[in-house]
Amino acid sequence: MAWFVSKKILQTLLVLLIVSIASFSLLKFAPGDPVQLMLGSEYSAEAHASLVKQLGLDRPIAEQYVRWLAGFLSGDWGTSFVSKAPIFRYAFLEALPVTLTLAASALGLAIVIGVPLGVLSATRKDTGWDAAVATLTLTGTSFPSFYLGILLIWLFGVQLGWFPTLGFVAPWDDLWGGIVHMTLPAITLSTYFLAMIVRLTRANLIEQLEQPYVAAARARGEPRWRVVWVHGLRNVMLPLVTILGLQLGALLQGAVLTETVFSLPGVGQMMTSAVLNREYGVVQAGVMMTACLFVLTNLLVDLAYPFLDPRLRPR
Amino acid sequence: MTDHKAILAERYLGGLNRRDLMKGLAAGGVVLAAGGLSRPAQAAGNEIKLAWVDHIDTLDPHFTGFLGAVKVHNNIYNGLLKVTYDGQKVAFVPDLAETWDITDGVIHTFKLRPNVKFHDGTPCDAEAVKWNVERVWKGEPKSPHAWKFKSLEKVEVVDPLTVKLTFKQPYAFLPVALTGSTGRAGTIVSPAAVQKFGASFGRNPVGTGPFKFVSWKENDSIVLEKNPDYFEAGLPKLDKVTILIMKEASSAIAAVMSGQVDGMSDSPVQFIPQLKANPNLQVFGEIEGNYVYIAMNCRKAPFDDINLRRAVAFALNREQIIKQAFFGQGIPAYTPISPPMTDFYDPNVAKTGRGQRFDLAKAKEFRAKAKVQDVIEPKFMVTEEGTYGSRLAQTVLPMLAEIGIKPKLELVERAAWVSRRNAGDFEMLDFNWWADLDPDETLFPEFHTGAAWNYPGWSNKRFDECVEQAQVSLDVPTRKALYTEASDIIMDEAPIAITSHMPVFKIFAKKVQGFKYIPVDSLNLHTVTVS
Repeated sequence: MAWFVSKKILQTLLVLLIVSIASFSLLKFAPGDPVQLMLGSEYSAEAHASLVKQLGLDRPIAEQYVRWLAGFLSGDWGTSFVSKAPIFRYAFLEALPVTLTLAASALGLAIVIGVPLGVLSATRKDTGWDAAVATLTLTGTSFPSFYLGILLIWLFGVQLGWFPTLGFVAPWDDLWGGIVHMTLPAITLSTYFLAMIVRLTRANLIEQLEQPYVAAARARGEPRWRVVWVHGLRNVMLPLVTILGLQLGALLQGAVLTETVFSLPGVGQMMTSAVLNREYGVVQAGVMMTACLFVLTNLLVDLAYPFLDPRLRPR
Repeated sequence: MTDHKAILAERYLGGLNRRDLMKGLAAGGVVLAAGGLSRPAQAAGNEIKLAWVDHIDTLDPHFTGFLGAVKVHNNIYNGLLKVTYDGQKVAFVPDLAETWDITDGVIHTFKLRPNVKFHDGTPCDAEAVKWNVERVWKGEPKSPHAWKFKSLEKVEVVDPLTVKLTFKQPYAFLPVALTGSTGRAGTIVSPAAVQKFGASFGRNPVGTGPFKFVSWKENDSIVLEKNPDYFEAGLPKLDKVTILIMKEASSAIAAVMSGQVDGMSDSPVQFIPQLKANPNLQVFGEIEGNYVYIAMNCRKAPFDDINLRRAVAFALNREQIIKQAFFGQGIPAYTPISPPMTDFYDPNVAKTGRGQRFDLAKAKEFRAKAKVQDVIEPKFMVTEEGTYGSRLAQTVLPMLAEIGIKPKLELVERAAWVSRRNAGDFEMLDFNWWADLDPDETLFPEFHTGAAWNYPGWSNKRFDECVEQAQVSLDVPTRKALYTEASDIIMDEAPIAITSHMPVFKIFAKKVQGFKYIPVDSLNLHTVTVS
């Protein structure tokens, strides 16, 4: 187990190094100059030269990268050109919790609603229930999250006035405020996963319910709910967890759009504005955080297998 | 974000208690919430929440390049002078100064208000003003506004409340340099705070203005609070200002329509009819000192051909552009001189035959004289940004097709677009200048030979002479004649095809009162109240 984990971690570090070099050089080679953007309409050659020097952008790219890497490893993530704030505080302490809250709420919502709907579909296969669930979830998926977000804002925010449509309230500061502010963004982001979870649960459960062990359990006289929810569903968990782990990237992508529509100050908004402004340090921080998150989630998924399926436990 | 909490607390009191709401949520969510949350959220007490849809780069006025930031600065800082508006005409009046005297056209003496203190308690005296002028004029790092003081010879402290600026020659643009243009060279910041915060002063601004800076949370909000020691008696009226940074304009529109915010710093033109029709909102907006144009690169083919450029200038149907690209907002522009420049703008310019206008016959005539007679397919560089994105470019395509020019739209990401624009690496592009108050800033930095923002790379000797002379003359009729000549030259040679002057909007809820509109894209909250 220890060997398994440390091998994974080594792999992870290598991946992160490659990711950091790739993102740094890609952004450097992309056309566009952060200083021209920062100066806006007051651009002049003198002001440009002065600012380039101040920001250390006149040094060779390799030197800039090494400086960044050394700083990053020693815990100094640098200072944002634009906000002049320490990137660590901005990216890690402020933006990341917002995105994690959003992603977790959306995923939680998708699971809490999706799994029962999937079970409903599977156990009432080819009935009106099944068709209704399929229609509902496919409609959700078909809306791009951007558009769905605006529709939800219009209906629940503007017309009905039920929910606030902007801003983030940390649930650990104010639980109820956090829930109310997160409802619409979480619904928006969850639709894609909702459909996926429902369909995955349905397909796998149908397959499982035809297995001999299910017939055996029924023959033992176990109640139907127990057969479905305990025996059947347990075997559905494995593919579900695998797919969800791999889909984390899609979740973070969706978060970018959702954060923009609902004005949430998360990693997505941070990354978009940083890329548009060519803020190398902030982009690097964002890339490293999301890469770590991705790798970490997949590591957790790998580690979860033995718990979900006893057959996978090391003997 | 405590303001969100306040909203929610208010909702509780008006609706159900927490347990009921939790029960409701458990019972299936939205159904119960309908009863509990239906009251629109509003800022409690004497405070205002505004959705800011334009970019705020820094709160250091000497280093900004964006109007979205200048709108905030005006509430934190004062200048030597300020801009006022009586509904007809803008004027420049002393602000931190009590009096402003001009001797021999070159010496400007400002007598300061006594006992004015910065928010950090340090005095705003002649020494502080001198320090500020020098910071912009020749400080390091270099201020992008240094050009506004390029003809300054010296700045002196006469006595603790008197400061004297001596210029090498008369400088007609000074009042605008001090108050307007993007960023205000004459804005006075706390020297002690700049020394204390260094490069991060722009995130920790300290001024003398009606509001003190409280916090700036990245991509989220800026909070200001009342400065109880503000020198204008009885002002400001608000206790707190929350600026919500919103990138997505349609989200901001939803927020202002549902009453979650009390106003918006600006709005894309397509939403204006909808906002005006809303009974809970008031929309401020007049034609301001700006112009929208299509630039043609004079350095290289095909637009090094003056006749081709002229053909483009006359082929554009301005009325149709305004209707289609700007949703009916705006007026046709004939020259770059815009309506708020009341001393220079000719309200009858449409009838004089001057400048550029839609005249297809004339366009075809010029096209017939062009060097290349075959269909030309120039690249038109556009970026999806600003209040109208690529709509202008799309709208003019069929108009140019009429004269055998079929531009290929090239959609470029903003950073690359800016780099290529500044480097002159384009054939056509569309752009706009905002919030100008004097023809000097409309013509000189944009079109003088080799000037910083002369993107088309155009050069004309007589034009240069006109704008140079107008800059050092203080006589309005003389300046008017020179600028008329200069703008006629540029319109004739057509490095740009000018399309329109645009209104700039501010949106407030009806309960917001006392806002004084000034047509330089300002959003001064000094006199604003929320009832």
